[in-house]
Amino acid sequence: MALTTDPRAPAPTDERDSSLVVPPSPGIVIPDSSPGPGDDELLQPFGLEEHPQGGFHGLLEVIPTRADLVIDLIRANSLWPLLSGLSCCAIEMMSTATSKNDIDRFGMFPFRASPRQADVLIVAGTLTTKMAGPLVRLWEQMPEPKWCVAMGTCTTSGGRFKRSYSVVQGVDRVMPVDVYVPGCPPRPEGLIYGMLKLRELVMARRGEWRTYVDRGPQRLAWEGDVR
Amino acid sequence: MTATDRETRIPDPIDLDRAEEARLRTAAGLAAPIIAEGSEYAGFELVGVPDRPLQTEREREMYTLEEGEMLVNMGPQHPSTHGVLRLVIKIRGEVVTDLDPIFGYLHRGIEKLCENATYTTALTYVDPMDYLSSMHNEHAPAIAFEKLYGIRAPRRAEYIRALVVELNRVFSHGLMIGFLALDMGGITPILYAFINRDDVVELLASISGQRMLFNFFRVGGVNWDTNDEFLSRLGKWHTTVLKTVTDNERLITENEIFKGRTKGMGRLTADQAIAYGVTGPNLRASGVPFDVRKAHPYSIYNELEFDVITQSSGDVYARYLQRIAELKQSLHLIDQIMDKMPHGPVQAQVPGIIRPRPGRAYGAVESPRGLYSVYAISDGGPTPFRFRMRDPSFISLQVVPVLMPGHLIADTMAVMASFDPVMGGVDK
Amino acid sequence: MRLLTERFPDVAHDLWTDEDTVEIQVARDRIVEALRTLRDDPEFAFWMLADAAAVDYGIGEHFEVVYHLYSDRHPAWLRIRVRVERADPRTPSITGLWTGAMFHEREMYDMMGIVFEGNRDLRRIYMSPDYRSFPQRKDFLLPDDAADSSAAGVNPLERPETWDLTTFSRELTSSAATYPPLDTTRDAPPAAYPGAGESADKSRPA
Repeated sequence: MALTTDPRAPAPTDERDSSLVVPPSPGIVIPDSSPGPGDDELLQPFGLEEHPQGGFHGLLEVIPTRADLVIDLIRANSLWPLLSGLSCCAIEMMSTATSKNDIDRFGMFPFRASPRQADVLIVAGTLTTKMAGPLVRLWEQMPEPKWCVAMGTCTTSGGRFKRSYSVVQGVDRVMPVDVYVPGCPPRPEGLIYGMLKLRELVMARRGEWRTYVDRGPQRLAWEGDVR
Repeated sequence: MTATDRETRIPDPIDLDRAEEARLRTAAGLAAPIIAEGSEYAGFELVGVPDRPLQTEREREMYTLEEGEMLVNMGPQHPSTHGVLRLVIKIRGEVVTDLDPIFGYLHRGIEKLCENATYTTALTYVDPMDYLSSMHNEHAPAIAFEKLYGIRAPRRAEYIRALVVELNRVFSHGLMIGFLALDMGGITPILYAFINRDDVVELLASISGQRMLFNFFRVGGVNWDTNDEFLSRLGKWHTTVLKTVTDNERLITENEIFKGRTKGMGRLTADQAIAYGVTGPNLRASGVPFDVRKAHPYSIYNELEFDVITQSSGDVYARYLQRIAELKQSLHLIDQIMDKMPHGPVQAQVPGIIRPRPGRAYGAVESPRGLYSVYAISDGGPTPFRFRMRDPSFISLQVVPVLMPGHLIADTMAVMASFDPVMGGVDK
Repeated sequence: MRLLTERFPDVAHDLWTDEDTVEIQVARDRIVEALRTLRDDPEFAFWMLADAAAVDYGIGEHFEVVYHLYSDRHPAWLRIRVRVERADPRTPSITGLWTGAMFHEREMYDMMGIVFEGNRDLRRIYMSPDYRSFPQRKDFLLPDDAADSSAAGVNPLERPETWDLTTFSRELTSSAATYPPLDTTRDAPPAAYPGAGESADKSRPA
């Protein structure tokens, strides 16, 4: 089924339950540099639009309290990746997860098979045009907060397959990426460094995810879609 | 606002989705979704059958559901670690009746890219095909290009090539054992396999500079000679590897659950294997003694002593035992290579951009998955005119729909893992 | 092994030998029986189909389907080349001889557009089922191919106007490059195939 909505996102009507939204406090305001609704036309084919009051920057424009710090620590120290190894970088990702370069010490041991339970999507491997549909669907199925790590040069920019007819030139053409880890494939130490950078981002709430308002699928299916 | 008002005001996202999908579907001119009318599935939408009209005879046979059958999609992302393979399984209850592997999710167009790259660059493009055996990926085109150019690599280069190729085979087979156990639920052997792989791969990194997609082979030889770090790591690894491998495989070889799940499963007869073009350990486990290293000796394999190992039953257990035996045989080969390695240059004198005479060449090697061959056509220019790679995992996947019917869903992964497909090679 | 050519005096021509490969050319309509003889005859005994490849010789030139066979009795690989015309890219399928040629032929169809008559499952294997070009042909151009899909022009290499390097550098260096608006009207469904109206649910008679 082409069911990819986040059931939490409210319908695009004007009557929203305003009690769920924390109004910005009149104290210190963290300037919001994220793109607002309607700015990011990359999201338009997915039917996603920035929620005007969603995301970290909009929703929590308050001085971080101790509770927020604890929540951030919890999130950062138990980022559960999604098993989304596409090709050679997947082997290095698995090598990072196993005994010699242990990513379990950072809390990232369980590579979840289901996107509903995962926090981080480590795109490890070349993204092709046929796989782009399923991968974006995986991304959409992940509940927020979620982060994306582009591992390897194929996901950063198309890599060694720069002029290929079937490779998506960088996974940031289809989803927002937080950390780019270059390498072909990156050494496990490199991936660990990337994950530590991601931890920093999570602690500092500088991720790229937004709270989206889902306007429904804008196209029926992608080429080679999984049905 | 009362509760009922809220219910009417905020529609269920599922209904929104269905309405939207129906609207887009009619706008695109497609038919309405197929609603099953059979007694079991009345009112439910028939999921799994593709929207578009079925094109071929086999597709019609596959996607036509009899009474009691159902299509399950093991999508491109799944916990099994072979890569992005999509299996559409037709099941009746828990028993598989038919299977359709769909791949292409990793098709990167390497053959086309190589047509615009020089010969040396083409050797680097083929690494990520069968990424667990990159050295073999490079060996076959190196042989083909050397045939086109009309040179032979120096003997020391051939010995180093054989050494790294056998090292690659060691860790590739070790990984297959780990993946087989992992796909059946055992999480420990994969950790041991990766420790083993890390040792070997650091060894190969000390000689080629890269842990995984070693850019090591050149037309006319190898890139670097062995260095002190490589030799010391090799010596240290070599003293303990046989014991480590034996300990690790003893975890699962005599395990009752493993044996019960793999013995008699996915039995591939020799005739079937030959008809389907299966090669490598999969073929030898069915009893056919075909090994490219003996059949068409390339490199220095006619100077090394080794036997062609076969197993008699062609089931999953036999393929597993076959790989362990070949792993140990590779260790034996590494012994011989280290004994016999001569001195000399490691790369023939070739220009940076080679322009072979127009011609055709076929180079085949024995990769851990089977016969890996390259058919290269040169037109006299700096780039190959046609660069075709025949990957063994691609061909082995044809056998899975034949072996699966009659088994349970849970055995799908066991049978799949026993053929050790690597989707990078399947999809090129 | 030259002795094999005396068996095929009419169909095989242009014998060529390399250090370890013997190459013959066979006409398209005799290929199946030639391969059958090569496989079944005990003198030849080429029991293994090692490779089946397709070659495009250029724009306006012919195709070639190349088979490589292996036998225990002969020390060389046997390469069989079948010439296929570009205007009529059809050739008989050898899935009757080696079932394992199925995926080879699907790949040749997908990449080159050579139709194998008699193949039960000739559909695309690497590209999506609704892809309409044949990527490995020499006249495959990325803009032409992408123009059919609504994802046309997302890759700047698919837009000839970006081939001017002064403007192209902007596309290359900034990830916030401007993308053309997606045009969903061009995603037409594929043409109807025979049997399109059959119901897939057989639990009730249609």
